[in-house]
Amino acid sequence: MSALLSNRPRFARALRLSWTDRALGPIPWILGALFGAVAIHLLTILALPTLWPTAAYRRLALHLPLGETVLLPRPDAASREPTFADPFAALAVCRFDLSQGPLRLRAKADGDHPFSVSVRLTDGTIIFSGNDRQTPQGAFDVLIVTQAQADALDAAQDSGSDSPDQNAASDASVDPLRLVSPGLRGFAVFRVLALREGDYDAAAMARSSVQCSVEKPAT
Amino acid sequence: MSGLKALPFAAIAALVLGSAATLASLQGGPGFGAVRIGAWTSWPQIGNSDIDPYARASIAVDGALPLGSHEGLAFMAESDNSGAPLDARCDYVIAGAAPSARFWTLTAYDVDGHLRPNPANRYALSSAAVLRGADGDFVIDAAREARSGNWLPLGEKSRFILILRAYQATTSAVGNAYSEMTLPTIARGPCS
Repeated sequence: MSALLSNRPRFARALRLSWTDRALGPIPWILGALFGAVAIHLLTILALPTLWPTAAYRRLALHLPLGETVLLPRPDAASREPTFADPFAALAVCRFDLSQGPLRLRAKADGDHPFSVSVRLTDGTIIFSGNDRQTPQGAFDVLIVTQAQADALDAAQDSGSDSPDQNAASDASVDPLRLVSPGLRGFAVFRVLALREGDYDAAAMARSSVQCSVEKPAT
Repeated sequence: MSGLKALPFAAIAALVLGSAATLASLQGGPGFGAVRIGAWTSWPQIGNSDIDPYARASIAVDGALPLGSHEGLAFMAESDNSGAPLDARCDYVIAGAAPSARFWTLTAYDVDGHLRPNPANRYALSSAAVLRGADGDFVIDAAREARSGNWLPLGEKSRFILILRAYQATTSAVGNAYSEMTLPTIARGPCS
């Protein structure tokens, strides 16, 4: 009995250590779970734009043949894509894949209908936009290239051989704009605005001068 | 909890918390940098390569095609000027000066971004067709029932959103001079 009494402080100390251990034990797991939650949150936010099935690129452009421009249906109450469509805007879309060569966009506004062009990556980032008031005669000539293709074009121009830039300059009145894309794939959107409800078909017709074409890479 | 027994719980907690944080961040507007003018809100950075990852994710989930900076600016209203949510059981008067732009449109949408069915099959009004007073200002009646003059049909579903698009806005997203921009007010009328 006296031996047991003499050991009481040791037992009490052991009991305290046990409680401390129990209190501190889950903390690494809680911190690990929080760290994992932050990682999952950031990964999903970064991955959603390219993986989400209703993202604009996946719904509107992923299955388009390269170089083909497609007019989207006129928005109405039955339309499901794209969401938040403006019923006064006629949209045409073409897809690009720069691994197959540079893409040239050509368009000419008719002057009566506001017109604009935007170039977007697969995750929806808009890397270029312009409207017909910013270009001479409302004409666009945009060559979308990778940095390597831009370097090859510069080298070809320095050596005096034909390049897509020179070809464009020779057959168009507008200076071609070279756009170096940070991504290989994406899509371009042409937007023609009808001024009034009954004007929509005319606006769609005005877009007939829109062209997307895959250029032969500079050698 | 000892050793590896805690691992599945920690992994599930991380998955649930991370997914919940992602869902929560996608509610409301697309990302940061909102500009508010009266009842209207715009997110100018979504129109260029400065877009933040949260805005990119939000737009992808919505399935929308936002305007590029040089195409125009879009302003969204989910409530009237008093802060009450827009409700198609009420009439609204949208009045004031037009935004500084080459062309503008005003469209009513469901909260999920679809155009609202209505007997007139009219979903929007444009600056070229809207009737104006002598001072150039306009008054638009947004209501379920037909109105004379500038009528924007609201359809039957109660909650709705208005989007005002200022195409080729003279106060551009590049300039960031929004304080000088004038936008119409949204005033709630009688409700049924």
